[in-house]
Amino acid sequence: MLNQTDGAAQYLTFFVAGEEYAIAILRVEEIIQYRPITRVPGTPACISGVINLRGHVVPVVDLAVKLGQPPSLVARRTCIVVVQARAEDRPLLLGIIADSVHQVVDLRPEDIEPPPPFGVRIRLEYLTGMVRMDAKFALLLDIDRVLGTEELLGTATLTAAEAATAHAAPSDVSRL
Amino acid sequence: METDREALTREFLAESTDLLRDMEEALVTMEGALPETAAVDAVFRGAHTLKGNAGILAFDAVVELAHAFEGRLEGLRGRHPVDSGTVTLLLRGVDALRDAISCAQVDRTAALPPSTAQVLQQLRAAPGAATRAPTGAPADAAPPDERARTLRVDVARLDEMLNVVGEIAVARGRLTQALSAGAAHGGDELLEAYGDTERLWSSLQELVMQVRLVPVGPLFRQHRRTVRDLALRLGKRARLVLEGEDVELDTAVLDHLRDPLVHMVRNAVDHGLEPPEARVQAGKDPVGTVTLRARHDAGSLVIQVEDDGRGLDRAAILQRARERGLPPEAATHDADVYQLVLESGFSTAPNITDVSGRGVGLDVVRRNIEALRGTVTLDLRPGGGTRVTLRLPLTLAIIDGFRVAVGEHTFVIPMGSVVECLSLPGTRQANGGSGGVLNLRGEALPYLQLRNAFHLGGPSPTRESVVVVRYHGGRAGIAVDELLGQAQTVIKPLGPLFQHLPSISGSAILGNGRVALIVDVAALVRDALRGDAAPHMAGGETA
Repeated sequence: MLNQTDGAAQYLTFFVAGEEYAIAILRVEEIIQYRPITRVPGTPACISGVINLRGHVVPVVDLAVKLGQPPSLVARRTCIVVVQARAEDRPLLLGIIADSVHQVVDLRPEDIEPPPPFGVRIRLEYLTGMVRMDAKFALLLDIDRVLGTEELLGTATLTAAEAATAHAAPSDVSRL
Repeated sequence: METDREALTREFLAESTDLLRDMEEALVTMEGALPETAAVDAVFRGAHTLKGNAGILAFDAVVELAHAFEGRLEGLRGRHPVDSGTVTLLLRGVDALRDAISCAQVDRTAALPPSTAQVLQQLRAAPGAATRAPTGAPADAAPPDERARTLRVDVARLDEMLNVVGEIAVARGRLTQALSAGAAHGGDELLEAYGDTERLWSSLQELVMQVRLVPVGPLFRQHRRTVRDLALRLGKRARLVLEGEDVELDTAVLDHLRDPLVHMVRNAVDHGLEPPEARVQAGKDPVGTVTLRARHDAGSLVIQVEDDGRGLDRAAILQRARERGLPPEAATHDADVYQLVLESGFSTAPNITDVSGRGVGLDVVRRNIEALRGTVTLDLRPGGGTRVTLRLPLTLAIIDGFRVAVGEHTFVIPMGSVVECLSLPGTRQANGGSGGVLNLRGEALPYLQLRNAFHLGGPSPTRESVVVVRYHGGRAGIAVDELLGQAQTVIKPLGPLFQHLPSISGSAILGNGRVALIVDVAALVRDALRGDAAPHMAGGETA
């Protein structure tokens, strides 16, 4: 995939909560249609649950919640992007819920600009940069940062109270 | 070339692990007896093979050490009874070889680590001088078991599997044919072809499960050394009796049994057995006996660790329980009293160890075993002493589960803990909706709402059912929306992200392809009855 001459690499872009994100395609294992997710009690709200991927149990993360947005809603184009993350230094497959997958783009290092110091709705440390896409920008996600085990479980302490109220809400079951 | 070397190294590592273990076992049997030529020969052969193999890989330090070991062993043939100093030295030699091998694995030309070099000196020294070898390297200092997860399989078993796989291929062909012929041929032929494939698949499943079975003997025999070293260090005398060494169990269960067994055996020697003088005073054999026993019982595997020591101090346990504020009414029967020792937190207090002589690590044992969907019970051995009984499922790969539904969620309750099912009476004694007490044929049965325990949300249906489960120490009810029935399910681990979840022990894949969570009954009921905040506050509290 890597073009040796100009150092270009391919990236997959997808939409989450109205924002376009990009990740290196080498980290993408596959893209599957949305399927019912089994919720796991006792996990932070950003972990939607687990799915069965050909006999393997794969955790699925709602990136929208992780990035501080309302939970994703399932629509016709919702899909799960399965990526290779790492947990305690061992590879781990993780699913990311995407509202839709956009495209695969070739990016050279000079196409990638540093993230702006403000004006972005998510925490800067989750980004490695941003890319101009037509009129808009796509944000380059640092998968190891956003999807690190510590990072995913660490939010439990921050959002435990929120999670508790969210759990109590009757609308909860209709969510992911 | 490099890959050849890697393969060779891997093979060497696997083989030397086995060799060293066998040598260790043989050495322990030599102690205090006239060395049988056979035993000495066995150790000698092991050392020699190791030396040869290490030579091929140019692990010079290992070769040097193995050579000194051989030399020392040579002097033992047909001589006086082997004293424990010599056995200790040779056992340390085995440890040193293990260390040297793991060093050589990283850097082939590495010199011996200092402690190992010292052992080398002692092995080379004159036989007389070495009897002053320091007593017993602590057995628990052994490096963690990092051997490759390999399994030796009888080729006949593989052949059988291959046969079935061949038949499946044929049956699949027939099935495809019948399918492509389609409706013209009618369903009968299709059904028949499918039935054949089905039957073959289940026999393949059976065969695969059988291949995973290994005898428990080698695991048991490792503890000869644990008992010997520990007894020596504590100034006690102990022997280890093994029963049911040929009982087979799934290799994954065996792996998980390793640590609990070490804890239990050490406990038995350390806290169970008395010093020789005290034993003589009590009119017992000065040599204490620790028994490791394995047997099959009604679809599960039973492992017992027994000692003929002083037993448990009932009064001290009760005292401690009261201090910890555990409900005294839970502890009227002896069995319940002893079970208290297994409670987490109970054992970590130092004074209980001193007074009752029990506790170190027993809650760890319980947690490990419960993670395997097994149970631990502690009782007095007839004739004095303590007995710890582990009851384990024969395999970890398949669970006989009872499926229940809450809203749109499906959970699996291990069949082993299900006692009966009943419908929740409309006139139930509500307790803020989170559970309460049921009248079960005149007995009070505490129950919890799975919906609330797991914070699933959603309205409860008008008719609910209760699954009565047994957990160590009693019975409880779990109220669910719907009973879906019993089924065998394949267990899947939940992975590192979920390893600290309380109340969930794993997951299973349902017939419709969805994942269902397996309820850890003991943990769920324990948390609910304690009125803990709820399992859903997962993150920190389980640490």
